[in-house]
Amino acid sequence: MRVNGRPVPFDPRDPQLAATRLLDVLRDRLGLTGSKEGCGVGECGACAVLIDGRSACSCLVLTGQVAGNEITTVEGLADRGHGDLQAAFVRHHAVQCGYCIPGVLTSCAALLERNATPQRDDVTTALGGNLCRCTGYQRFTDAVCDVAAARRGAAPADDGDGDGDGPVGAVGSANSDGQRAGGS
Amino acid sequence: MTTPDTAGTPPRNWVGRSRPAVEGAEIVTGELVYVTDRRVPGMLHAVVVRSTVPHAEIRRLDTSAATALPGVVAVLTAADVPVNALGPREVDGPVLCKTVVRQVGDAIALVAAEDAATAAAAAAMVTVDLEPLPVVDGPDAALDPASPQLHSVGNIAGRIAFASGDVEAALAGADLVLRRTVHTPAQEHLALETPGGMAIWADGKVTIWCGSQNPGLHQRKVARALDIETSAVRMIAGPVGGAFGARNDDPVPVHLAVLAHATGRPVHLHLTREEVMTAGTKRHPFTTSIDIGFDRSGQIVASQVIAVADTGPVITSGPNVLKTSAEMSTGPYRFPMASFSGTVVYSNNSNNGAFRGYGVPQVAFAVENALTEAAAELGIDPVEIRLRNVLRGGDPHSLYRHRTTDSLQVETTLRTAAAHPLWTDRQGWQAAGDGLWRRGTGLACAMKGVGMGSGTGDVARARLEIDATGAVTIWAGPNHTGQSIQTTYEQIAADALGLPIDAIEVRVGDTDFVPESGPTAASRSTYAGGGAVTRACAELRETCARLGLPLATDPAGTGEKLVELGSAAVEAEFFLPSTEDIGLIPADQLATYGPHRVYGACTQVVRVEVNIRTGELRVPDLLSVVDCGTAINPAATIGQAEGGALQGLGLAVMEEHRLVDGVPVTTNLENYLAPTIADAPHMQTVLISGHEDTGPYGAKGMSEVVVVPAPPALAAAVLDAVGVLPDRLPVTPERMLTWLEEQPCG
Repeated sequence: MRVNGRPVPFDPRDPQLAATRLLDVLRDRLGLTGSKEGCGVGECGACAVLIDGRSACSCLVLTGQVAGNEITTVEGLADRGHGDLQAAFVRHHAVQCGYCIPGVLTSCAALLERNATPQRDDVTTALGGNLCRCTGYQRFTDAVCDVAAARRGAAPADDGDGDGDGPVGAVGSANSDGQRAGGS
Repeated sequence: MTTPDTAGTPPRNWVGRSRPAVEGAEIVTGELVYVTDRRVPGMLHAVVVRSTVPHAEIRRLDTSAATALPGVVAVLTAADVPVNALGPREVDGPVLCKTVVRQVGDAIALVAAEDAATAAAAAAMVTVDLEPLPVVDGPDAALDPASPQLHSVGNIAGRIAFASGDVEAALAGADLVLRRTVHTPAQEHLALETPGGMAIWADGKVTIWCGSQNPGLHQRKVARALDIETSAVRMIAGPVGGAFGARNDDPVPVHLAVLAHATGRPVHLHLTREEVMTAGTKRHPFTTSIDIGFDRSGQIVASQVIAVADTGPVITSGPNVLKTSAEMSTGPYRFPMASFSGTVVYSNNSNNGAFRGYGVPQVAFAVENALTEAAAELGIDPVEIRLRNVLRGGDPHSLYRHRTTDSLQVETTLRTAAAHPLWTDRQGWQAAGDGLWRRGTGLACAMKGVGMGSGTGDVARARLEIDATGAVTIWAGPNHTGQSIQTTYEQIAADALGLPIDAIEVRVGDTDFVPESGPTAASRSTYAGGGAVTRACAELRETCARLGLPLATDPAGTGEKLVELGSAAVEAEFFLPSTEDIGLIPADQLATYGPHRVYGACTQVVRVEVNIRTGELRVPDLLSVVDCGTAINPAATIGQAEGGALQGLGLAVMEEHRLVDGVPVTTNLENYLAPTIADAPHMQTVLISGHEDTGPYGAKGMSEVVVVPAPPALAAAVLDAVGVLPDRLPVTPERMLTWLEEQPCG
């Protein structure tokens, strides 16, 4: 078992560890508290990690089940080449409280690893198991599509939702202040 | 960046620009240590023993077996809490139940052990003999004199009533009178981080890391329970994963402090989702009746609203929620006469408390549905009937006749929404629907007060210190619970001081450093906290001007000199202004009604597709037009609008915390449905230009009002699609089918 590219300093087949939830081993044994527990029954996705590149809820996986697998948590996403995805989430104002974000990012990373040209519907499918209570989700989709386009060397078009985040890097730049209209 | 003239007002470099959250990088890398992520060597793990029944007498509580289990450090009951009260009144409830439990999930004992498994095992060994009592399962039972009285004061948690004239007489002269009743459910906050954190007792002082929307209030609650000075309590209220009102009324900071105090060890507690869905607060379920009269032209003649709310076993925010309902029972409309009568009762249902919107979504659903129905009855366009009644800035409020802020722009939000393609193209879009999926478009609008209201003494404070390098640190409240309020405060301070934004650091949520600033609530953080930051910055600038120090051009030299002079720190406060004219409210009762001076507004347009065979709903598009004055950080404001609209839509179409005979049924995310990305519409947000003169750089609050229009806009869209106006939320497929059977749409 390797976590974020490094072998773990324990035997995951040890009976007690093998029967412990992967989430608990990550958080309590390895100190990787990026993965969060939001429900404990696989419904919210806050604990999602990559297991051999596929996104899974680590609250539903026992450590013994993945004793020979490669695990990537949010802390390992940059080393796996997803630093641009993380930066895009910040740039697109896709984070509010941020508690769901580690799981959301790993699900998005898994999507980008299997599909270099995701459409908005593909992001919806990939994030179907990740609850967010703050954002309304569409900035996640904007960020993923933006990153996919940038990785292909293309500039995405504005998505017309009023947040002015279509062109890469628009939000946060000096002249972007969101769409304004009306006035009295 | 331009160099400001220290004698004049610095130019705006940051206010109005979208700036990513300052903690964003730590969030996306997983480095941000949330309160429940905190771990220290030697910490204990805690579990709460809870009631399994809604109402019972505690006959016997035996902790001996649990205490004897190896690894258990403490099993605490009511007798172990120095002052067993969550507030100054009996109706605030106890820290731990002693003689009676009044809801499923009521806390009875606290267990602390060397590891989590031992704590859980010990909790299961605590023997509680509960003698069931008759269950008060809602307002009907609560108001029945034959029912058990849940408190010494009875089953009424609060009443509020006001009338600006003889409404019945006025209704007698109306051309159209609608008398309708609507039902809105309890809604789960569903902040992704469940309550919890850590507490440490050391050197006569307890430090608690636990989410809170009101760190000062929790500090006082802990001090009361432990019978210690508030200065012996330090609340560090973040970082935390969401709030939405749930962290106003949360007892977990007190539970943590009691455990740390009793054991003298660091204690970790993190509630499960099932625990918080069972024991945590919800949005108050309401039954709201409206009698409203119109003349032929669609002008409102008068309205009477009667609301009954269920607050569960303890008072939490019940009466204050109802106060906001009263104020917003006339919607964003101007008409000559209105009355409101509200009652909030105790029951053995789940406790209900503060929730984003705070009593407004419930009454707004009644008012906006009535406007929608009246428009159809009178043959008037839904936008037109609202424009004919719209409350304009400076107008007297319809119930209290107090003066509203000049910056109120409900009308502009309505006109902007009505000019948007989602509204103008609604007939074409409807005609393009096919077969079983019928299409409709709906619109609704809302306003909501900013701050705690006139006469309540609402105040926020900020402390600012410049060091000898010219770096500025600001300690300000209200606290951050997900809106990155620090980013907003930094933008305000950078412009107010004329300094580079990187020279400014804002810290929030720590009672040892942040002066008392009230709650992150009532859409007040940007307005109140930003107002305090603005004033602290102005004070520093005045000091510099008086001493002839060039703050903007030589911050390091200025800082060095100020440190040398002992003038490097300033503190300022912002008292939220009351309305300029209190109208009909007696001056000595101003705080009782708490009318606002400042309001934000929002109009939303919702598209819906209804499957007439299955009753399913799809919501492909939602438009929010928001009146928030100056948007300090526009992208963050739009983010709040999107998230709030989706929370409102969740209430409209799927969210309902259900109980049977006082026993919660929806206790996990498998049977409580909340919107996923697949349920989220494409959302567009328009922030209209505006300026609130009393707010920082013209800003006012908006984070709650965006929740309010979605349910009635959805209902109006369903009416447009299939000819049925839902009067009960959420509009589930089962309910939709029932309505369609009662009124087939062909």
